[in-house]
Amino acid sequence: MLLFRSEEHVDRWCALWNRPRGATLSLEQGWALAQEWYGPDRRDPAWHRKTVDEIELLFATLRLTGPFWQLRG
Amino acid sequence: MVDEQQHDRLDFEIRRHIYDQLLNGHAAPTIAATADALSVEPSAVRAGFERLAQARNLVLQEGSREIMMAQPFSAVPTPFHVEADGHRWWGPCIWDALGILAMVKQDGRVLTACGDCGEAMTLTIKEGALAEGEGIIHFGLPAKHWWDNIVFT
Repeated sequence: MLLFRSEEHVDRWCALWNRPRGATLSLEQGWALAQEWYGPDRRDPAWHRKTVDEIELLFATLRLTGPFWQLRG
Repeated sequence: MVDEQQHDRLDFEIRRHIYDQLLNGHAAPTIAATADALSVEPSAVRAGFERLAQARNLVLQEGSREIMMAQPFSAVPTPFHVEADGHRWWGPCIWDALGILAMVKQDGRVLTACGDCGEAMTLTIKEGALAEGEGIIHFGLPAKHWWDNIVFT
C-alpha cells in the first residue's frame, strides 16, 4: 500500500507499472483502518488475528465495500 | 497435546518479547537475542519463529529466517519512516506505518514519498487524529489476495 499525492499520481503509477488500479482510501479512512487493525496490544495473551467475520465487520464500518474488499469466494 | 501447549506458551512469550523490543524503540530481536532473553535454546526460538510465520504473525527473511516483518513493523529498511516518542521505526507500507503510530498510541509522524513522483510527504498524528498531511492511499491488491505475497502487498 503506497501513498500518492493525488488520484492522477495513482493513475500514472498504475500505467507505468502496468498494474490494474486497486482501491483508494482517504487519509482519514487509512488512519481509522490502522487504528482498528493495530490498536489492540499484541502482547496481550488474549490477542488474536482478526477472523474473517471481524474483518468483514470492520470493512463495513469503514464503508469499504464492493468486490475489492470481499474476503470470501 | 502437552507439546502443543508448550509451543503455544513459548510462541506467546516470543511474540511478547518481539513487541516489547519494538515498542521500546529497539530493533527487531534476532533468534539468538530472543533465545538469550527467554533463556531457551536458539533452535526452540527458530522453530517458534516458523510457527508464528505459519500463523501469519511474522514474516521471515528468506535466507536467515530472522524477522523481516512483525507487523506493523519492518525489521529491514523501507521508504516508510515513522517517528514518535523519540523513537524511529520502518513500516512495510503506508498502512502499517500509520499502524505503528496506532500501536504506540503517541503523537508522531510518517515520513515517506509519493509512490509515483517521489515528492516528500509527511503525515502527522496528534492526539489520536490526523493533524497534518495530504494525499491518498492506494491498495493495489484486492483484500482476499493480501497474503498471497505479503512482501509485495
